[in-house]
Amino acid sequence: MTEPLSGGSTHADVVCPFCGLGCDDVSLTVQGASVKAGEGVCGRAAALFARSDEPAPSPRVGGKDVSLEEALRAAADLLSSARSAVYGGLGADVDGVRAVIKLASKTGGSVDHYASPGMFRNLSTSQRKGWIATTIAETRNRADVVLVIGPDPSKAFHQLYAKVTPKTGRFFEGPRKIVFLGGEPTEEAKAQLEGSSVELIAVPAAELVNALARLHTLLAGGKPPVGDLDLAPLAETLKAAKYSVLIWSASSLEADGDLVVERAASVIDTLNVEGRAACLPLSGKDNLTGAYHASLWNIGFPLRIGFRDGVSDHDQQAYATENALKHADVAVWTSSFRPEQPPASDAKLIAVAHPATRFASEPAVFIPVGQPGLDHGGLVFRADSVVGLPLAKYRDAGLPSVAEIAKSILERLS
Amino acid sequence: MSAVRITGGKVLDPCHGEVGVVRDVVIKDGRIAAADAVDGPIETIDAKGGVVMAGAIDIHSHIAGGKSNISRLLMSEEQRAIREPAGEFCGCGGGLSTMTAHATGCRYAEMGYTAVFEPAVIASNARHMHAEMKDIPFLDTGGYLVLGNDDFLLDLIASGAGQQAVNDYVAWMLAATKTMAIKIVNPGGINAFKFNARFMQLDEKNPHYEITPRTILQTLIKAVTELGLAHPIHLHGCNLGVPGNEQTTLDTVKAAEGMPLHMTHVQFHSYGTEGDRKFSSGAAKIAEAVNKNPNISIDVGQVMFGQTVTASADLMSQHRNRGIASPKRWIGMDMEMDAACGIVPFAYKDKSFVNALQWAIGLELFLLVEDPWRIYLTTDHPNGAPFTTYPHLIRLLMDKDFRDEQFAKLPKSVRKHSILGELKREYTLEEIAIVTRAAPAKILGFTDRGHLGAGAVGDVVVYEDNADREAMFTTARYVLKDGRVIVKDGAIVDLVYGRTHQVKPDYDKSMEARLDRWFDEAVGYKAKTFKIADHEIRDGQGAVVHATARSA
Repeated sequence: MTEPLSGGSTHADVVCPFCGLGCDDVSLTVQGASVKAGEGVCGRAAALFARSDEPAPSPRVGGKDVSLEEALRAAADLLSSARSAVYGGLGADVDGVRAVIKLASKTGGSVDHYASPGMFRNLSTSQRKGWIATTIAETRNRADVVLVIGPDPSKAFHQLYAKVTPKTGRFFEGPRKIVFLGGEPTEEAKAQLEGSSVELIAVPAAELVNALARLHTLLAGGKPPVGDLDLAPLAETLKAAKYSVLIWSASSLEADGDLVVERAASVIDTLNVEGRAACLPLSGKDNLTGAYHASLWNIGFPLRIGFRDGVSDHDQQAYATENALKHADVAVWTSSFRPEQPPASDAKLIAVAHPATRFASEPAVFIPVGQPGLDHGGLVFRADSVVGLPLAKYRDAGLPSVAEIAKSILERLS
Repeated sequence: MSAVRITGGKVLDPCHGEVGVVRDVVIKDGRIAAADAVDGPIETIDAKGGVVMAGAIDIHSHIAGGKSNISRLLMSEEQRAIREPAGEFCGCGGGLSTMTAHATGCRYAEMGYTAVFEPAVIASNARHMHAEMKDIPFLDTGGYLVLGNDDFLLDLIASGAGQQAVNDYVAWMLAATKTMAIKIVNPGGINAFKFNARFMQLDEKNPHYEITPRTILQTLIKAVTELGLAHPIHLHGCNLGVPGNEQTTLDTVKAAEGMPLHMTHVQFHSYGTEGDRKFSSGAAKIAEAVNKNPNISIDVGQVMFGQTVTASADLMSQHRNRGIASPKRWIGMDMEMDAACGIVPFAYKDKSFVNALQWAIGLELFLLVEDPWRIYLTTDHPNGAPFTTYPHLIRLLMDKDFRDEQFAKLPKSVRKHSILGELKREYTLEEIAIVTRAAPAKILGFTDRGHLGAGAVGDVVVYEDNADREAMFTTARYVLKDGRVIVKDGAIVDLVYGRTHQVKPDYDKSMEARLDRWFDEAVGYKAKTFKIADHEIRDGQGAVVHATARSA
């Protein structure tokens, strides 16, 4: 920590909790409540870390400023009489997720994370059939061939190529080969890919499933049906690779994304008969991965969980937030990483949310909370699911954590 | 001050030679005290007709971490079928072979277990392990750190950096991951699979580093000895599940060269190739080797029939096993230049020749290893069976008639290939107390657990003295954790949390700079982010750091 001339403190090696890549080279300058991100941070994260020195807004009930205690009581009253509660957003550190799940287990209702649709596309394959996956460090060091499937994932994971696929790796000679199948790198990505050997194979989005099926047929020694797309050279590249990694961001795939993922997993399965390959499926914004993990180890299911009479269950359709909201009378929206707007619904809204959140209509209860990794410490998970990231506190703006609020509401239930 | 007197029970404390001695056990402020240590008010627990033992200790049970979560993900039918019933102490979870954190603590506690150790902490996943273990109530926990496939270590050994550098690295990793012992899984084999090797023999060279499993094993045995860790290397050897691996296991016993070595789930490493099906029991040979080598201890990894899920860091083996997955799905993962995992759901069937013989091999090992202080009761939960089968296993060991009945149900071909029917031994209650309490405490280096002497932790269990030993050990009449009653008449009555055990041997600080560079260049994030801070363990409450010869 240093004290720059302008006052305030500069913190180095701050862990970024937003996209899930887990960059830990952010620098933050904090002066009073104001925050500015310095070197090493991508544009998206810099904007999310930035704070003015305006004081935090007050909690509100029905649009009126109230004390925190009044807001907690109002939230507890609403939840105590809720017939069907929905816990959405779930943008919180692991402690926050634990506390929200605990609260939901007492009030009844469903729990889901707002960024989970991409994850469930991945689970449609991993849960029912399985796959061989890998992590960031393995990819960095081993993956001589990387196949990027569909739209460039770096639109959501900005530092992807700089962090995960630098031009060379410890266990292979020469530059890394990156093949884009059905997508192309953004301008920012091109700069990160400099020095790697980049190849683009144009595939219309609607044809991606078929292209992967063709690739699989070729790898399995079969003959794909006659078509324009010649993937034989790609098949040979993958077969010759020491360790190929297939990367995709499921949330940027089209509606048939679950089939894309399934075909990609088959490609990997076949490659592993004679050689080595694995996938790096990216999804994990705002600690989605940590919420998934905490839900599995506490409840036994990967989010979209429901509680009734003290027993839990899991339904990937009914407990998806958008479906559950159709029948909800109370919605609890948690979003501590960014001012994510809650979806519209007829349910009475309790927003445990980022102070800068703009609401389409005033929530019944609004309790501003701090950001994990800025206003309080905590644990979030990286998008590859293995690595947990420790977050620290860098300022005191008087904002409580999601965990504190959820526990306090629980204590006030009648 | 809090004080409890447990009166009238038959005390079974093998550490102090007490076998059914009727005496009071007094717990004062969470620790066992002399019978006359308390003058003031004291809560009394009537244990008349009961058997009083120390809290049981599971030395090897996969209760937390990434692979447990993948198991839960893959086994959603089990999760749907088995839900924790609602109640005051319910955690709203479920599962059996994939039991959730809160339920794990409850079911272990009801059986009288108060300490359970996670034997496969992958360093890069250690933070997850600790976060999950924090949500397991009642149990003291701790993790064994998986080393021996990590690229940094293999590079150290291959480049001739020397034993001292290895020791410093091991100590650095233990401190960074807040773990308590070193586990090796398929030494060098998980790493070799990343370079596309499919098998790894004890004296075969890693395709990249050109060092052998034997070298890795011997180097790490030396490291834990020189650092002064209480628990020896906890080894999952080469060739798990491969017919003929009995020879690898015997060679591994020799490779220890008289140094302490704990060989885990040995049932999976005791297979011969005799008979029509080229699959036979190696239990007699392995047990003989264990009997002759006092430096060796084992746990069994008993198989029980039924659905479970196998979860292992040994992706090389699990990739071989993928074809027998049941249901037909499996997940593998290479992890962080560190290790891997492979999760394969599996149903052991009594009509299957191989599965039934695995069952018999485990029991043969239990009955043929003579010294109960060097063998521990495990099913390698959930790999051989869920830990909830322990009471059944105890009855199989204690009751020959019952065992013979079960054996008689197996296919004739299996009975022809096993000597189980000829084995007359029945474990005594004292021996059960040894293999579930006293001996695990001793091999883990705990001086204040596994016994009922003054100063020991107040983890005490009262069982009914029931002739049906399965019923006796399924639920305890009383279980106390640190002197508080947590189970009464087999039901949870209070919620308390245990501690996390760690070691922190000292290391040469020049290792910091080396690892800073390694993390920056290879791993891709900072060593300081990787290191787990004290406040991350149970929110800074409840860590126990054990002394080592080279303590910081």
